[in-house]
Amino acid sequence: MSIAASVLDAVRAEAALQGGGRVTRAGLRIGELSGVAVESLRFCLEVLVADTELAALGFEIEFAPWTRRCRGCAAVFRVTDARPACTACGSGDTEAAGGDQMELSFLELEEP
Amino acid sequence: MLVPLERKVLNENDRIAATLRQRFQRNGTFCLNLISSPGSGKTALLERTLAGFDAARRVAVLTGDIQTDNDARRLARYGFPVRQISTGGACHLDARMVERHLTDWPVDELEILFLENVGNLVCPTSYDLGEEARAVLLSVTEGEDKPLKYPATFHHADLMVLNKIDLLPYVPFSMELARENARRVQPEIEILEVSCTSGEGLERWNDWIERHL
Repeated sequence: MSIAASVLDAVRAEAALQGGGRVTRAGLRIGELSGVAVESLRFCLEVLVADTELAALGFEIEFAPWTRRCRGCAAVFRVTDARPACTACGSGDTEAAGGDQMELSFLELEEP
Repeated sequence: MLVPLERKVLNENDRIAATLRQRFQRNGTFCLNLISSPGSGKTALLERTLAGFDAARRVAVLTGDIQTDNDARRLARYGFPVRQISTGGACHLDARMVERHLTDWPVDELEILFLENVGNLVCPTSYDLGEEARAVLLSVTEGEDKPLKYPATFHHADLMVLNKIDLLPYVPFSMELARENARRVQPEIEILEVSCTSGEGLERWNDWIERHL
């Protein structure tokens, strides 16, 4: 719930920076390692926007998979079943590359 | 009008956390964020840790719970400054709560500040508190697969403390498998094994802390 509240704070702050037009759509990018359950977030957002100026706002939530980068062959690969070894060359020498995002990725606004 | 953005949802939390981190670094304070399920032994580990410190050490604890100040009262017996953060419903600590509870405290003179998070393996993960290191506790009465079930938490941890190892003869817990699961999620994670009841392994835990000072 507090993450959903932070999302709305971010939407309002960015909308103000963009001239204050009414926000019609907002994009979120939520990583597999962010600790956020997308369905719960969606539910909390719906609860929080009800009866506010953002009541009609539609959220598009993009899932960002857990990825690692191989230090050997530089491939970036998706981690499945928590296996950290490179899926291209098999090397175990890999580093975190993505999946902890929790970002506002776009806003669609009416002209102010 | 479509405006592409890359704004972090928790950027306000991250901003406060960055300020705290700078402050800790400037003053040479080692700040450790302790995360685990309820009942894994965060408070017990801190009790043993404080009990082993010389009274002259400059150490303090902020301990978070949804309700009650029981943990703060347990920890205050060791003579070091302890403050309870009652989150009033929130299932995690955030940087603002930490900042607020550090006002009018001699925080800038501390060697070590322990942040005992609310017992929860999910929500605390997302909130940077300005800590230098993050430790996650897993006790042997839980499942070895917790690192796989809660990968975000273990992925963001520097250290995993396997606690309650005195109970190993009585529970079907494989240390080997727990270690393997943690390393799958976070290949660089350090792992310590302790019992806050028998005291086994606490020396290595203390060494780990001293190494960060």
